[in-house]
Amino acid sequence: MSQQLPGAVDGEGSGLSSTGLLEFEEQTEVGELYLRALMHRQGRLSLGIALVFAGFLLAQPLLAWWWPEWGRLRLLGIPLAWLLLGVLSYPLLIGLGSIYVRRAEEVDDEFTDLLRGR
Amino acid sequence: MSSPISFAAGDRVTPTSAAVLGLVAMAAVSLGAGLFARRWAHTTSDFMVAARAVPPRVNAAAISGEYLSAASFLGIAGLVMQFGYDVLWYPVCYAGGYLLLLLFIAGPLRRFGAYTIPDFAEGRFDSPRFRRLAVGLVLIIGFFYALPQMKAAGLTVQTASGLPYGVGIGIVALVVVAGVVGGGMRGITFVQSLQFAVKLFAISVPAFLLLIHFSGTGVPFARGVGGLDRLTTTTEFRVVPGEIWQIAGKTQVKVSHPAAYGWQKQAPTASASAPAAGFEGGTGSTGKINHRRDHQRSLSGTGQLPQGTVTWHTSDAVTIKRGQPAPFGNETPASTGASWIAPFGPLAGGTGHPLLFTYSLILAILLGTIGLPHILVRFYTNPDAKASRRTALMVLVLLGAFYIWPPILGALGRSYDPGLYGSNLTDAVVLLLPSQLGAGWLGQVMSAVVAAGAFAAFSSTLSGLLVSLGGALGHDVYGRWLRPTAGQVARRRAFQISALGACLAAAALGLLVQQFDISVLVGWAFAIAASSFFPLLVLGIWWRHLSTLGAAVGVALGGGIATCSIITTMVATVSSPLATFLNQHSGLAVVLAQPAIVTVPMAFACMVGISLLRPNPPAAVAAKMVQLHAPELLGLRREYIPE
Repeated sequence: MSQQLPGAVDGEGSGLSSTGLLEFEEQTEVGELYLRALMHRQGRLSLGIALVFAGFLLAQPLLAWWWPEWGRLRLLGIPLAWLLLGVLSYPLLIGLGSIYVRRAEEVDDEFTDLLRGR
Repeated sequence: MSSPISFAAGDRVTPTSAAVLGLVAMAAVSLGAGLFARRWAHTTSDFMVAARAVPPRVNAAAISGEYLSAASFLGIAGLVMQFGYDVLWYPVCYAGGYLLLLLFIAGPLRRFGAYTIPDFAEGRFDSPRFRRLAVGLVLIIGFFYALPQMKAAGLTVQTASGLPYGVGIGIVALVVVAGVVGGGMRGITFVQSLQFAVKLFAISVPAFLLLIHFSGTGVPFARGVGGLDRLTTTTEFRVVPGEIWQIAGKTQVKVSHPAAYGWQKQAPTASASAPAAGFEGGTGSTGKINHRRDHQRSLSGTGQLPQGTVTWHTSDAVTIKRGQPAPFGNETPASTGASWIAPFGPLAGGTGHPLLFTYSLILAILLGTIGLPHILVRFYTNPDAKASRRTALMVLVLLGAFYIWPPILGALGRSYDPGLYGSNLTDAVVLLLPSQLGAGWLGQVMSAVVAAGAFAAFSSTLSGLLVSLGGALGHDVYGRWLRPTAGQVARRRAFQISALGACLAAAALGLLVQQFDISVLVGWAFAIAASSFFPLLVLGIWWRHLSTLGAAVGVALGGGIATCSIITTMVATVSSPLATFLNQHSGLAVVLAQPAIVTVPMAFACMVGISLLRPNPPAAVAAKMVQLHAPELLGLRREYIPE
């Protein structure tokens, strides 16, 4: 195994030749702008979804703190606080995760098309 | 449910042949599958990253199988039974950690093509010294996560079969190491996905059957609301001198021999480590008693135990009729149904700073998951970032399907088997509750099933840890520092020997920690991971200005202070001046036992602050960002380990 670091991108073997890609590989300022735009979009997507989940999670202790009655509410005999945290969290996690995966793949694909099509 | 259940004092339970059968079957299947998968492992790449040829669905099952440790399979149900609502944060955050991993880490890190966190540290920052720091942390976190698994292995085998603690550890170590050394990553992937299926079956089916079984006797949660918790069956407890009971209300008892006990009105005071008595639960002594204030009492035939704390002075068989209050052992704070069901119950409320404790707990588990070394390694077995993301999503689905069940078992345990409180056996509720399905074949089969599930739980997590420890030792310590010129065969041999050595070391340490508070050990692993590797990964991937110095200082400081604060908490359990001090400063005690809420922001601040003050990003950082974020289709990718 060679000691080559993963950062050492030399561009050989990519087999693709288009201007956008070339600028990307040669790390020109234009290529740099492309990358920043991609990271910005992906980062905003991730952060937005993370904030939704964090809000859901972090609001619950505050709710119980300011409104103690919350811990005593029941639905069909099951405490509502248990249902929300112990059961509904998982569908929410899965829902947020699948929204993210779909959107992230779209962003990646759009970016690939953009660079290849130029 | 008519015959009285009988428990010996301490940890011992009457072994059942069904449970032993379940354990043996699971051990045989794991071993057989691992050896069978051996014929697939031909190259180092097969060994280390399963040749990156594992489809997302199988990979996700393997990741979930590896992640669901004894803490998830046994611990959560036991803790829910002990503490109620507050424990729900554990399963939700265990699963939630994977959403964060999916959002910020899974795709980019796979693209970077590194194999471990040390690979990332060196590749991103061009610093072999930083790599060494990361390898050190991987070994520490890995070992501290392996110890409680070893302990769980010893206890489960002991509970099921009556064999000594050490024998259980030995058997499990043998099975696990055979799989890891024999099959490598590819074999492990196969075995772990199988083990996930076993665990999901073994937690959901018994819980479902018990729900149906008990539904004739009332809604599960409704039972605990009445205030005190009453025995649903006439129960015989065997007590030994020194055993402590907390009595919630006057209790009618019958003793087999004339008995003597000390009594005092107060409940035991919570020790400083109580907030951390989380992850594996139950094994920490959460109560301390001042015996000099005891009133001496005696009892013969039928009599009444007063409300308060009772310390038995004689060995006896104590029978309590159904409908009487259940006694709580010294490991569970006595709780009413209402305080158990509501937020900020005995776990968070007992610390004196429920909100602070809850938030710190959420932070530690949510963020610590990402920094656990055996978790990230799995994502490199994906062919590309797209598969890596899909795998993480699939893991969320599988974890969600699993984590709904353990709290249900814990709640059923509280309502229908409160005798476990008095015997300090809440940890084993998953193993013991299925016997309530009756003495017929169903109860027997389900007891075997949960024993098999428990075996799958600790053995799959141990396998994963051994692969990462073996990887860190074989790939890094041997392959990079000792013999950088070693060939494929030598590297593979080094990996096998390292995994074997790591397993022996963990087993030996597992023998030593039998009396130790393992919840503190697991808490340590999560807290270090959350306050060192988590900020490193997130900032390293998403912030190009992170400097090598900033990252290294942040990792060392965050991980170091988290370690020190937990060591302080551990010392407080044996040093009474320190414990007294911490009791007087309960806010400080909470932060020391659960330091994530301080150390995680601190590590972030440190990394950002130093990077901004002395801007010195590593060379070619732009190329690294391309590597991390550019889609594979552009063909810019390099593999760290050649296929």
